[in-house]
Amino acid sequence: MSPNLPPPIAAISKAVKRRGATLALNGLDLMIRPGQCVALLGPNGAGKSTSVALLTGRLRPDAGEASLLGGDPRDLAARGRMGVMLQEAGLPRTLSVREQIDLFRGYYRKPRPTDEIVRLAGLEGLERRRCGALSGGQQRRVQFALAIAGKPDFLVLDEPTTGMDIDARRALWSAVRAEIARGCAVLLTTHHLDEAEALADRIVVIDHGQAIADGTPEAIKSRVSGVAIRCRSRLSDAELSGLARVTGVSRDGGRVTLLTTSAPATLRELLARDETVDDLTVAGASLEDAVTRLVGTQRQAEAA
Amino acid sequence: MHTLSVYFREARAQVLATWRTPQFLIPSVALPLLFYGVMGLGLSRGREEVAHFMLANYVIFAAIAPAMFGFGAGVAAEREAKLIELKQIAPLPAGGYLIGRLAAALALVGASIGLLGVLAWFGGVKMEPGRWAATLGLGLASAIPFALIGLNVGLRFSSQGATAIANLLFLGFSLFGGLWMPLNIMPDWFTRIAKVMPSYHLGQLSQMLSGMQPMADVQQHVSIVVGISVAALIGAWAAWRRQMA
Repeated sequence: MSPNLPPPIAAISKAVKRRGATLALNGLDLMIRPGQCVALLGPNGAGKSTSVALLTGRLRPDAGEASLLGGDPRDLAARGRMGVMLQEAGLPRTLSVREQIDLFRGYYRKPRPTDEIVRLAGLEGLERRRCGALSGGQQRRVQFALAIAGKPDFLVLDEPTTGMDIDARRALWSAVRAEIARGCAVLLTTHHLDEAEALADRIVVIDHGQAIADGTPEAIKSRVSGVAIRCRSRLSDAELSGLARVTGVSRDGGRVTLLTTSAPATLRELLARDETVDDLTVAGASLEDAVTRLVGTQRQAEAA
Repeated sequence: MHTLSVYFREARAQVLATWRTPQFLIPSVALPLLFYGVMGLGLSRGREEVAHFMLANYVIFAAIAPAMFGFGAGVAAEREAKLIELKQIAPLPAGGYLIGRLAAALALVGASIGLLGVLAWFGGVKMEPGRWAATLGLGLASAIPFALIGLNVGLRFSSQGATAIANLLFLGFSLFGGLWMPLNIMPDWFTRIAKVMPSYHLGQLSQMLSGMQPMADVQQHVSIVVGISVAALIGAWAAWRRQMA
Protein backbone atom coordinates (compact mmCIF):
# COMPACT_ATOMS: atom_id res chain seq x y z
CA MET A 1 0.00 0.00 0.00
CA SER A 2 1.30 3.41 -0.91
CA PRO A 3 2.08 5.44 2.24
CA ASN A 4 0.55 8.70 0.99
CA LEU A 5 -2.95 7.24 0.55
CA PRO A 6 -5.36 8.46 3.21
CA PRO A 7 -6.66 5.71 5.53
CA PRO A 8 -9.89 4.08 4.36
CA ILE A 9 -13.22 5.38 5.65
CA ALA A 10 -14.87 2.01 5.36
CA ALA A 11 -13.42 -1.41 4.72
CA ILE A 12 -14.52 -5.00 4.42
CA SER A 13 -11.74 -7.57 4.45
CA LYS A 14 -12.07 -11.27 3.66
CA ALA A 15 -15.66 -11.15 4.85
CA VAL A 16 -17.66 -14.35 4.93
CA LYS A 17 -21.35 -14.26 5.78
CA ARG A 18 -23.78 -17.13 5.59
CA ARG A 19 -27.47 -16.25 5.35
CA GLY A 20 -29.64 -19.30 5.64
CA ALA A 21 -28.45 -21.93 3.20
CA THR A 22 -26.57 -19.53 0.91
CA LEU A 23 -23.14 -18.04 1.25
CA ALA A 24 -23.98 -14.36 0.78
CA LEU A 25 -20.37 -13.20 1.07
CA ASN A 26 -17.45 -15.43 0.27
CA GLY A 27 -14.25 -13.63 1.18
CA LEU A 28 -15.16 -10.18 -0.12
CA ASP A 29 -12.64 -7.34 0.10
CA LEU A 30 -13.79 -3.75 -0.27
CA MET A 31 -12.15 -0.47 0.64
CA ILE A 32 -13.47 3.07 0.35
CA ARG A 33 -11.27 6.12 0.87
CA PRO A 34 -12.22 9.76 1.52
CA GLY A 35 -13.64 11.50 -1.54
CA GLN A 36 -14.06 8.20 -3.32
CA CYS A 37 -17.31 6.83 -4.70
CA VAL A 38 -17.36 3.06 -5.05
CA ALA A 39 -20.26 1.49 -6.92
CA LEU A 40 -21.20 -2.06 -6.10
CA LEU A 41 -22.74 -3.81 -9.10
CA GLY A 42 -24.01 -7.30 -9.56
CA PRO A 43 -27.14 -9.35 -10.11
CA ASN A 44 -29.78 -9.76 -7.40
CA GLY A 45 -28.52 -11.95 -4.61
CA ALA A 46 -24.88 -11.28 -5.46
CA GLY A 47 -24.16 -9.96 -1.96
CA LYS A 48 -24.71 -6.22 -2.40
CA SER A 49 -27.19 -5.76 0.42
CA THR A 50 -25.21 -8.03 2.72
CA SER A 51 -22.15 -5.82 2.14
CA VAL A 52 -24.23 -2.75 3.00
CA ALA A 53 -25.57 -4.48 6.12
CA LEU A 54 -22.01 -5.26 7.24
CA LEU A 55 -20.78 -1.68 6.84
CA THR A 56 -23.84 -0.20 8.55
CA GLY A 57 -23.50 -2.58 11.50
CA ARG A 58 -26.77 -4.38 10.78
CA LEU A 59 -24.93 -7.68 10.41
CA ARG A 60 -21.63 -9.00 11.70
CA PRO A 61 -19.41 -11.08 9.41
CA ASP A 62 -19.04 -14.78 10.29
CA ALA A 63 -15.36 -14.45 9.41
CA GLY A 64 -13.21 -11.56 8.28
CA GLU A 65 -13.82 -7.98 9.28
CA ALA A 66 -15.91 -4.91 8.59
CA SER A 67 -14.67 -1.56 9.86
CA LEU A 68 -15.99 1.97 9.71
CA LEU A 69 -13.71 4.94 10.40
CA GLY A 70 -11.20 2.54 11.90
CA GLY A 71 -13.66 1.07 14.40
CA ASP A 72 -16.70 -1.13 14.76
CA PRO A 73 -19.59 0.00 12.51
CA ARG A 74 -21.86 -0.41 15.54
CA ASP A 75 -20.11 2.24 17.63
CA LEU A 76 -22.23 5.30 18.24
CA ALA A 77 -19.30 7.59 17.34
CA ALA A 78 -18.77 5.86 13.98
CA ARG A 79 -22.50 5.90 13.23
CA GLY A 80 -22.52 9.62 13.98
CA ARG A 81 -20.29 10.19 10.94
CA MET A 82 -22.32 8.00 8.59
CA GLY A 83 -25.47 8.76 6.60
CA VAL A 84 -27.53 5.95 5.13
CA MET A 85 -30.24 5.70 2.52
CA LEU A 86 -31.71 2.21 2.74
CA GLN A 87 -33.36 0.49 -0.18
CA GLU A 88 -36.86 0.07 1.23
CA ALA A 89 -37.02 2.20 4.35
CA GLY A 90 -40.32 3.88 5.10
CA LEU A 91 -41.19 7.26 6.58
CA PRO A 92 -43.70 8.05 9.33
CA ARG A 93 -46.84 8.97 7.43
CA THR A 94 -48.09 11.60 9.85
CA LEU A 95 -44.93 13.68 10.29
CA SER A 96 -44.12 16.53 7.92
CA VAL A 97 -40.96 16.57 5.82
CA ARG A 98 -39.45 19.32 7.97
CA GLU A 99 -40.32 17.55 11.23
CA GLN A 100 -38.73 14.32 10.04
CA ILE A 101 -35.57 16.11 8.87
CA ASP A 102 -35.36 18.04 12.15
CA LEU A 103 -35.70 14.80 14.09
CA PHE A 104 -32.86 13.11 12.21
CA ARG A 105 -30.50 16.08 12.24
CA GLY A 106 -31.01 16.13 16.00
CA TYR A 107 -29.29 12.72 16.22
CA TYR A 108 -26.02 14.25 15.00
CA ARG A 109 -23.74 16.45 17.03
CA LYS A 110 -22.88 18.85 14.23
CA PRO A 111 -25.76 18.68 11.79
CA ARG A 112 -26.35 20.80 8.72
CA PRO A 113 -28.91 23.59 9.01
CA THR A 114 -32.38 22.35 8.05
CA ASP A 115 -32.73 24.83 5.18
CA GLU A 116 -29.48 23.63 3.65
CA ILE A 117 -30.62 20.00 3.86
CA VAL A 118 -33.95 20.87 2.25
CA ARG A 119 -32.17 22.72 -0.56
CA LEU A 120 -29.56 20.00 -1.21
CA ALA A 121 -32.24 17.31 -1.39
CA GLY A 122 -34.44 19.43 -3.68
CA LEU A 123 -37.35 19.50 -1.25
CA GLU A 124 -38.14 23.23 -1.37
CA GLY A 125 -41.87 23.77 -1.20
CA LEU A 126 -42.51 20.31 0.26
CA GLU A 127 -41.32 21.05 3.83
CA ARG A 128 -44.81 21.22 5.32
CA ARG A 129 -46.22 18.20 3.51
CA ARG A 130 -46.86 15.03 5.46
CA CYS A 131 -44.47 12.27 4.41
CA GLY A 132 -47.45 9.97 3.75
CA ALA A 133 -48.73 12.37 1.07
CA LEU A 134 -45.52 12.31 -1.00
CA SER A 135 -44.91 10.40 -4.23
CA GLY A 136 -42.41 7.56 -4.28
CA GLY A 137 -39.70 9.74 -5.82
CA GLN A 138 -40.31 12.53 -3.31
CA GLN A 139 -40.04 10.05 -0.43
CA ARG A 140 -36.67 8.92 -1.80
CA ARG A 141 -35.55 12.56 -1.73
CA VAL A 142 -36.60 12.85 1.92
CA GLN A 143 -34.57 9.72 2.65
CA PHE A 144 -31.60 11.28 0.90
CA ALA A 145 -32.13 14.39 3.05
CA LEU A 146 -32.02 12.23 6.20
CA ALA A 147 -28.81 10.58 4.96
CA ILE A 148 -26.96 13.88 4.48
CA ALA A 149 -28.46 15.63 7.53
CA GLY A 150 -25.39 15.01 9.70
CA LYS A 151 -22.84 16.14 7.06
CA PRO A 152 -21.48 12.58 7.03
CA ASP A 153 -17.96 11.41 6.16
CA PHE A 154 -19.41 8.19 4.81
CA LEU A 155 -22.58 8.03 2.78
CA VAL A 156 -24.30 4.75 1.90
CA LEU A 157 -26.75 4.94 -0.98
CA ASP A 158 -28.59 1.67 -1.55
CA GLU A 159 -30.45 1.92 -4.88
CA PRO A 160 -30.95 5.66 -4.31
CA THR A 161 -32.91 6.65 -7.41
CA THR A 162 -35.57 3.94 -7.72
CA GLY A 163 -38.93 5.61 -8.37
CA MET A 164 -37.38 8.93 -9.42
CA ASP A 165 -37.96 10.66 -12.73
CA ILE A 166 -35.06 11.80 -14.93
CA ASP A 167 -34.86 15.33 -13.53
CA ALA A 168 -34.93 14.16 -9.92
CA ARG A 169 -32.22 11.58 -10.67
CA ARG A 170 -29.94 14.17 -12.23
CA ALA A 171 -30.54 16.55 -9.31
CA LEU A 172 -29.67 13.80 -6.84
CA TRP A 173 -26.54 12.93 -8.81
CA SER A 174 -25.27 16.49 -8.62
CA ALA A 175 -26.00 16.56 -4.88
CA VAL A 176 -24.00 13.34 -4.46
CA ARG A 177 -21.14 14.79 -6.53
CA ALA A 178 -21.06 17.79 -4.20
CA GLU A 179 -20.77 15.45 -1.21
CA ILE A 180 -17.90 13.59 -2.90
CA ALA A 181 -16.20 16.88 -3.75
CA ARG A 182 -16.08 17.93 -0.09
CA GLY A 183 -14.33 14.63 0.75
CA CYS A 184 -17.22 12.38 1.68
CA ALA A 185 -16.76 8.69 0.83
CA VAL A 186 -19.71 7.08 -0.90
CA LEU A 187 -20.79 3.48 -1.27
CA LEU A 188 -23.37 3.17 -4.02
CA THR A 189 -25.34 0.11 -4.99
CA THR A 190 -27.43 0.38 -8.10
CA HIS A 191 -29.04 -1.45 -10.96
CA HIS A 192 -28.69 1.59 -13.20
CA LEU A 193 -25.30 1.39 -14.80
CA ASP A 194 -25.51 4.94 -16.08
CA GLU A 195 -25.76 5.92 -12.44
CA ALA A 196 -22.59 4.06 -11.55
CA GLU A 197 -20.86 5.56 -14.58
CA ALA A 198 -22.04 9.06 -13.66
CA LEU A 199 -20.95 8.95 -10.01
CA ALA A 200 -18.39 6.27 -9.28
CA ASP A 201 -14.65 6.50 -9.74
CA ARG A 202 -14.37 2.81 -8.91
CA ILE A 203 -16.67 -0.06 -9.74
CA VAL A 204 -16.66 -3.40 -8.00
CA VAL A 205 -18.65 -6.11 -9.74
CA ILE A 206 -19.67 -8.86 -7.36
CA ASP A 207 -21.30 -12.20 -7.88
CA HIS A 208 -21.80 -15.07 -5.44
CA GLY A 209 -20.31 -12.95 -2.68
CA GLN A 210 -16.98 -12.35 -4.38
CA ALA A 211 -15.51 -9.45 -6.31
CA ILE A 212 -15.13 -10.56 -9.92
CA ALA A 213 -13.92 -7.22 -11.27
CA ASP A 214 -12.63 -4.06 -9.63
CA GLY A 215 -11.52 -0.90 -11.40
CA THR A 216 -12.46 2.42 -12.95
CA PRO A 217 -15.59 2.45 -15.14
CA GLU A 218 -13.28 2.67 -18.16
CA ALA A 219 -11.20 -0.29 -17.01
CA ILE A 220 -14.34 -2.37 -16.45
CA LYS A 221 -15.57 -1.48 -19.91
CA SER A 222 -12.26 -2.41 -21.49
CA ARG A 223 -12.43 -5.79 -19.78
CA VAL A 224 -14.93 -6.74 -22.45
CA SER A 225 -13.74 -6.65 -26.00
CA GLY A 226 -14.49 -3.26 -27.42
CA VAL A 227 -17.52 -3.15 -29.68
CA ALA A 228 -21.22 -3.90 -29.43
CA ILE A 229 -23.34 -4.56 -32.53
CA ARG A 230 -27.07 -4.14 -31.97
CA CYS A 231 -29.59 -5.30 -34.55
CA ARG A 232 -32.68 -7.35 -35.34
CA SER A 233 -31.81 -10.70 -36.82
CA ARG A 234 -33.64 -13.94 -37.57
CA LEU A 235 -30.58 -15.99 -36.60
CA SER A 236 -30.70 -18.01 -33.39
CA ASP A 237 -28.45 -17.30 -30.42
CA ALA A 238 -26.34 -20.34 -31.25
CA GLU A 239 -25.86 -19.17 -34.84
CA LEU A 240 -25.05 -15.65 -33.68
CA SER A 241 -22.44 -16.75 -31.18
CA GLY A 242 -20.86 -18.84 -33.95
CA LEU A 243 -20.15 -15.73 -36.03
CA ALA A 244 -16.55 -14.60 -36.43
CA ARG A 245 -14.98 -12.82 -33.41
CA VAL A 246 -18.22 -12.75 -31.37
CA THR A 247 -17.57 -12.97 -27.62
CA GLY A 248 -21.09 -12.56 -26.27
CA VAL A 249 -24.75 -12.53 -27.28
CA SER A 250 -27.62 -11.03 -25.29
CA ARG A 251 -31.21 -10.19 -26.15
CA ASP A 252 -33.34 -7.23 -25.13
CA GLY A 253 -36.83 -7.44 -26.59
CA GLY A 254 -36.52 -8.02 -30.32
CA ARG A 255 -32.96 -6.74 -30.55
CA VAL A 256 -29.79 -8.68 -29.99
CA THR A 257 -26.48 -7.32 -28.80
CA LEU A 258 -23.33 -8.97 -30.12
CA LEU A 259 -20.07 -8.21 -28.39
CA THR A 260 -17.16 -8.57 -30.75
CA THR A 261 -13.45 -8.03 -30.94
CA SER A 262 -13.74 -6.96 -34.58
CA ALA A 263 -16.84 -5.24 -35.88
CA PRO A 264 -15.93 -5.54 -39.62
CA ALA A 265 -15.27 -9.27 -39.41
CA THR A 266 -18.49 -9.98 -37.52
CA LEU A 267 -20.58 -7.67 -39.68
CA ARG A 268 -19.39 -9.21 -42.94
CA GLU A 269 -20.42 -12.64 -41.81
CA LEU A 270 -23.66 -11.46 -40.20
CA LEU A 271 -24.84 -9.67 -43.32
CA ALA A 272 -23.87 -12.63 -45.50
CA ARG A 273 -25.81 -15.11 -43.36
CA ASP A 274 -28.91 -12.98 -42.74
CA GLU A 275 -30.17 -10.62 -45.42
CA THR A 276 -33.07 -9.48 -43.16
CA VAL A 277 -30.81 -7.69 -40.63
CA ASP A 278 -32.44 -4.44 -39.55
CA ASP A 279 -32.10 -1.63 -36.97
CA LEU A 280 -28.34 -1.99 -37.05
CA THR A 281 -26.08 0.09 -34.81
CA VAL A 282 -22.44 -0.33 -33.87
CA ALA A 283 -21.10 1.30 -30.70
CA GLY A 284 -18.46 0.96 -28.02
CA ALA A 285 -19.55 -1.52 -25.38
CA SER A 286 -21.49 0.12 -22.53
CA LEU A 287 -20.89 -0.55 -18.89
CA GLU A 288 -24.02 -2.66 -18.85
CA ASP A 289 -22.58 -4.88 -21.59
CA ALA A 290 -19.38 -5.14 -19.61
CA VAL A 291 -21.09 -6.21 -16.40
CA THR A 292 -23.41 -8.68 -18.12
CA ARG A 293 -20.42 -10.16 -19.84
CA LEU A 294 -18.32 -10.37 -16.70
CA VAL A 295 -21.05 -12.08 -14.69
CA GLY A 296 -21.81 -14.42 -17.59
CA THR A 297 -18.17 -15.43 -18.05
CA GLN A 298 -17.77 -16.04 -14.34
CA ARG A 299 -20.84 -18.28 -14.26
CA GLN A 300 -19.71 -20.24 -17.33
CA ALA A 301 -16.34 -20.76 -15.71
CA GLU A 302 -18.03 -22.05 -12.57
CA ALA A 303 -20.29 -24.38 -14.54
CA ALA A 304 -17.35 -25.81 -16.46
CA MET B 1 -27.08 16.86 27.23
CA HIS B 2 -27.03 15.75 23.61
CA THR B 3 -28.41 12.32 24.56
CA LEU B 4 -31.15 13.85 26.69
CA SER B 5 -32.22 16.18 23.92
CA VAL B 6 -32.30 13.27 21.46
CA TYR B 7 -34.64 11.39 23.81
CA PHE B 8 -36.79 14.48 24.15
CA ARG B 9 -37.03 15.08 20.39
CA GLU B 10 -37.81 11.44 19.75
CA ALA B 11 -40.60 11.51 22.34
CA ARG B 12 -42.02 14.74 20.94
CA ALA B 13 -42.08 13.33 17.40
CA GLN B 14 -43.83 10.19 18.62
CA VAL B 15 -46.45 12.16 20.56
CA LEU B 16 -47.07 14.32 17.49
CA ALA B 17 -47.38 11.29 15.21
CA THR B 18 -49.80 9.63 17.64
CA TRP B 19 -51.86 12.80 18.03
CA ARG B 20 -52.28 12.94 14.25
CA THR B 21 -53.58 9.39 14.03
CA PRO B 22 -57.27 9.73 14.98
CA GLN B 23 -58.04 6.08 14.17
CA PHE B 24 -55.75 5.22 17.06
CA LEU B 25 -56.41 8.22 19.29
CA ILE B 26 -60.21 8.08 19.34
CA PRO B 27 -60.77 4.45 20.34
CA SER B 28 -57.98 4.42 22.91
CA VAL B 29 -59.14 7.62 24.67
CA ALA B 30 -62.86 7.71 23.93
CA LEU B 31 -63.64 4.08 24.68
CA PRO B 32 -62.80 4.13 28.40
CA LEU B 33 -64.64 7.46 28.80
CA LEU B 34 -67.72 6.14 27.04
CA PHE B 35 -67.73 2.87 28.98
CA TYR B 36 -67.30 4.65 32.26
CA GLY B 37 -69.99 7.17 31.41
CA VAL B 38 -72.52 4.47 30.55
CA MET B 39 -71.63 1.63 32.93
CA GLY B 40 -69.93 3.47 35.76
CA LEU B 41 -72.06 6.57 36.11
CA GLY B 42 -75.18 5.59 34.17
CA LEU B 43 -75.85 2.33 35.94
CA SER B 44 -74.85 3.58 39.38
CA ARG B 45 -77.77 6.08 39.39
CA GLY B 46 -76.02 8.37 41.78
CA ARG B 47 -74.78 5.70 44.22
CA GLU B 48 -71.33 7.03 44.98
CA GLU B 49 -69.79 3.70 46.01
CA VAL B 50 -70.64 2.08 42.65
CA ALA B 51 -69.23 4.98 40.63
CA HIS B 52 -66.21 5.00 42.93
CA PHE B 53 -65.61 1.26 42.63
CA MET B 54 -65.91 1.44 38.84
CA LEU B 55 -63.50 4.38 38.61
CA ALA B 56 -60.80 2.40 40.41
CA ASN B 57 -61.19 -0.32 37.75
CA TYR B 58 -61.43 2.06 34.81
CA VAL B 59 -58.17 3.91 35.49
CA ILE B 60 -56.46 0.56 34.89
CA PHE B 61 -58.66 -0.22 31.88
CA ALA B 62 -57.84 3.18 30.36
CA ALA B 63 -54.12 2.38 30.46
CA ILE B 64 -54.35 -0.94 28.62
CA ALA B 65 -55.42 0.14 25.12
CA PRO B 66 -52.99 3.04 24.51
CA ALA B 67 -50.11 1.04 25.98
CA MET B 68 -50.85 -2.18 24.12
CA PHE B 69 -51.77 -0.66 20.77
CA GLY B 70 -49.40 2.28 20.74
CA PHE B 71 -46.56 0.05 21.69
CA GLY B 72 -47.69 -3.28 20.26
CA ALA B 73 -49.25 -2.67 16.89
CA GLY B 74 -47.38 0.62 16.42
CA VAL B 75 -43.94 -0.91 16.76
CA ALA B 76 -44.91 -3.79 14.45
CA ALA B 77 -46.05 -1.38 11.73
CA GLU B 78 -42.86 0.71 11.92
CA ARG B 79 -40.76 -2.44 11.97
CA GLU B 80 -42.47 -3.65 8.80
CA ALA B 81 -41.92 -0.27 7.12
CA LYS B 82 -38.20 -0.65 8.01
CA LEU B 83 -38.37 2.60 9.90
CA ILE B 84 -36.84 1.01 12.98
CA GLU B 85 -33.95 -0.35 10.91
CA LEU B 86 -33.05 3.17 9.80
CA LYS B 87 -33.23 4.38 13.41
CA GLN B 88 -31.01 1.53 14.58
CA ILE B 89 -28.39 2.57 12.03
CA ALA B 90 -28.74 6.29 12.77
CA PRO B 91 -26.67 7.61 15.69
CA LEU B 92 -29.63 7.39 18.03
CA PRO B 93 -28.44 6.42 21.51
CA ALA B 94 -29.43 2.92 22.63
CA GLY B 95 -33.11 2.67 23.42
CA GLY B 96 -33.85 6.20 22.17
CA TYR B 97 -36.56 4.96 19.87
CA LEU B 98 -38.22 2.87 22.58
CA ILE B 99 -38.03 5.60 25.19
CA GLY B 100 -39.66 7.97 22.70
CA ARG B 101 -42.48 5.55 22.06
CA LEU B 102 -42.95 4.83 25.77
CA ALA B 103 -43.16 8.57 26.50
CA ALA B 104 -45.80 8.95 23.79
CA ALA B 105 -47.83 6.06 25.21
CA LEU B 106 -47.60 7.53 28.72
CA ALA B 107 -48.70 10.95 27.49
CA LEU B 108 -51.75 9.41 25.88
CA VAL B 109 -52.57 7.32 28.96
CA GLY B 110 -52.13 10.43 31.09
CA ALA B 111 -54.60 12.37 28.95
CA SER B 112 -57.07 9.50 28.97
CA ILE B 113 -56.91 9.00 32.76
CA GLY B 114 -57.05 12.74 33.39
CA LEU B 115 -60.30 12.99 31.41
CA LEU B 116 -61.65 9.97 33.25
CA GLY B 117 -60.91 11.67 36.57
CA VAL B 118 -62.72 14.83 35.47
CA LEU B 119 -65.73 12.80 34.35
CA ALA B 120 -65.83 10.89 37.64
CA TRP B 121 -65.52 14.10 39.69
CA PHE B 122 -68.43 15.65 37.87
CA GLY B 123 -70.28 12.34 38.20
CA GLY B 124 -70.15 12.69 41.98
CA VAL B 125 -67.23 10.47 43.02
CA LYS B 126 -65.79 11.76 46.29
CA MET B 127 -62.25 11.15 47.54
CA GLU B 128 -59.59 12.98 49.53
CA PRO B 129 -57.04 14.72 47.23
CA GLY B 130 -54.35 12.20 48.22
CA ARG B 131 -56.54 9.27 47.18
CA TRP B 132 -57.37 10.96 43.87
CA ALA B 133 -53.67 11.40 43.15
CA ALA B 134 -52.84 7.84 44.18
CA THR B 135 -55.64 6.28 42.13
CA LEU B 136 -54.95 8.25 38.95
CA GLY B 137 -51.19 7.88 39.48
CA LEU B 138 -51.47 4.10 39.73
CA GLY B 139 -53.45 4.10 36.48
CA LEU B 140 -50.63 5.98 34.77
CA ALA B 141 -47.97 3.70 36.22
CA SER B 142 -49.89 0.62 35.12
CA ALA B 143 -49.24 1.69 31.51
CA ILE B 144 -45.64 0.51 31.91
CA PRO B 145 -46.29 -3.25 32.37
CA PHE B 146 -48.91 -3.15 29.61
CA ALA B 147 -46.54 -1.27 27.31
CA LEU B 148 -43.81 -3.86 27.91
CA ILE B 149 -46.23 -6.69 27.11
CA GLY B 150 -47.33 -4.79 23.99
CA LEU B 151 -43.69 -4.33 22.96
CA ASN B 152 -43.16 -8.09 23.02
CA VAL B 153 -46.11 -8.50 20.69
CA GLY B 154 -44.93 -5.67 18.42
CA LEU B 155 -41.39 -7.01 18.08
CA ARG B 156 -42.37 -10.62 17.50
CA PHE B 157 -45.35 -10.52 15.14
CA SER B 158 -46.22 -8.98 11.80
CA SER B 159 -48.25 -5.80 11.80
CA GLN B 160 -51.58 -7.57 11.26
CA GLY B 161 -50.78 -10.37 13.67
CA ALA B 162 -49.72 -7.87 16.33
CA THR B 163 -53.01 -5.97 16.05
CA ALA B 164 -55.00 -9.17 16.40
CA ILE B 165 -53.01 -10.41 19.39
CA ALA B 166 -53.03 -7.02 21.09
CA ASN B 167 -56.83 -6.97 20.73
CA LEU B 168 -57.10 -10.43 22.25
CA LEU B 169 -54.87 -9.52 25.18
CA PHE B 170 -56.73 -6.24 25.64
CA LEU B 171 -60.07 -8.05 25.92
CA GLY B 172 -58.61 -10.80 28.10
CA PHE B 173 -56.95 -8.40 30.52
CA SER B 174 -60.10 -6.29 30.81
CA LEU B 175 -62.56 -9.14 31.23
CA PHE B 176 -60.54 -11.60 33.33
CA GLY B 177 -58.96 -8.83 35.34
CA GLY B 178 -62.44 -8.02 36.63
CA LEU B 179 -62.24 -4.48 35.27
CA TRP B 180 -65.62 -4.63 33.53
CA MET B 181 -67.57 -6.87 35.89
CA PRO B 182 -66.81 -7.51 39.56
CA LEU B 183 -65.19 -10.92 40.04
CA ASN B 184 -67.41 -11.88 43.00
CA ILE B 185 -70.35 -12.37 40.66
CA MET B 186 -68.25 -14.64 38.43
CA PRO B 187 -67.75 -18.42 38.65
CA ASP B 188 -64.79 -19.95 40.42
CA TRP B 189 -62.71 -20.83 37.33
CA PHE B 190 -62.96 -17.22 36.23
CA THR B 191 -61.32 -16.04 39.44
CA ARG B 192 -58.52 -18.56 39.00
CA ILE B 193 -57.70 -17.11 35.56
CA ALA B 194 -57.85 -13.61 37.05
CA LYS B 195 -54.97 -14.45 39.41
CA VAL B 196 -52.48 -14.61 36.50
CA MET B 197 -53.63 -11.35 34.90
CA PRO B 198 -51.60 -8.23 35.67
CA SER B 199 -54.85 -6.29 35.30
CA TYR B 200 -56.41 -8.16 38.24
CA HIS B 201 -53.57 -7.31 40.63
CA LEU B 202 -53.45 -3.71 39.45
CA GLY B 203 -57.23 -3.50 39.87
CA GLN B 204 -56.97 -4.77 43.44
CA LEU B 205 -54.27 -2.22 44.26
CA SER B 206 -56.37 0.49 42.69
CA GLN B 207 -59.37 -0.48 44.86
CA MET B 208 -57.17 -0.22 47.94
CA LEU B 209 -55.62 3.11 47.01
CA SER B 210 -59.01 4.64 46.27
CA GLY B 211 -60.29 3.47 49.67
CA MET B 212 -62.82 0.89 48.44
CA GLN B 213 -60.97 -2.07 49.95
CA PRO B 214 -58.83 -2.46 53.04
CA MET B 215 -55.10 -2.75 52.35
CA ALA B 216 -54.31 -6.46 52.19
CA ASP B 217 -51.77 -8.67 50.42
CA VAL B 218 -50.18 -5.53 48.95
CA GLN B 219 -46.79 -7.16 48.77
CA GLN B 220 -48.16 -10.13 46.86
CA HIS B 221 -50.01 -7.99 44.30
CA VAL B 222 -47.02 -5.70 43.79
CA SER B 223 -44.53 -8.54 43.40
CA ILE B 224 -46.69 -10.33 40.82
CA VAL B 225 -47.01 -7.13 38.75
CA VAL B 226 -43.28 -6.43 39.06
CA GLY B 227 -42.48 -10.04 38.15
CA ILE B 228 -44.62 -9.87 35.00
CA SER B 229 -43.04 -6.52 34.06
CA VAL B 230 -39.50 -7.83 34.47
CA ALA B 231 -40.30 -10.94 32.42
CA ALA B 232 -41.81 -8.73 29.69
CA LEU B 233 -38.77 -6.44 29.81
CA ILE B 234 -36.36 -9.35 29.37
CA GLY B 235 -38.50 -10.75 26.56
CA ALA B 236 -38.58 -7.39 24.80
CA TRP B 237 -34.83 -6.95 25.21
CA ALA B 238 -34.19 -10.35 23.65
CA ALA B 239 -36.54 -9.58 20.74
CA TRP B 240 -34.88 -6.19 20.21
CA ARG B 241 -31.42 -7.77 20.17
CA ARG B 242 -32.62 -10.32 17.65
CA GLN B 243 -33.74 -7.41 15.44
CA MET B 244 -30.14 -6.24 15.46
CA ALA B 245 -28.68 -9.63 14.57
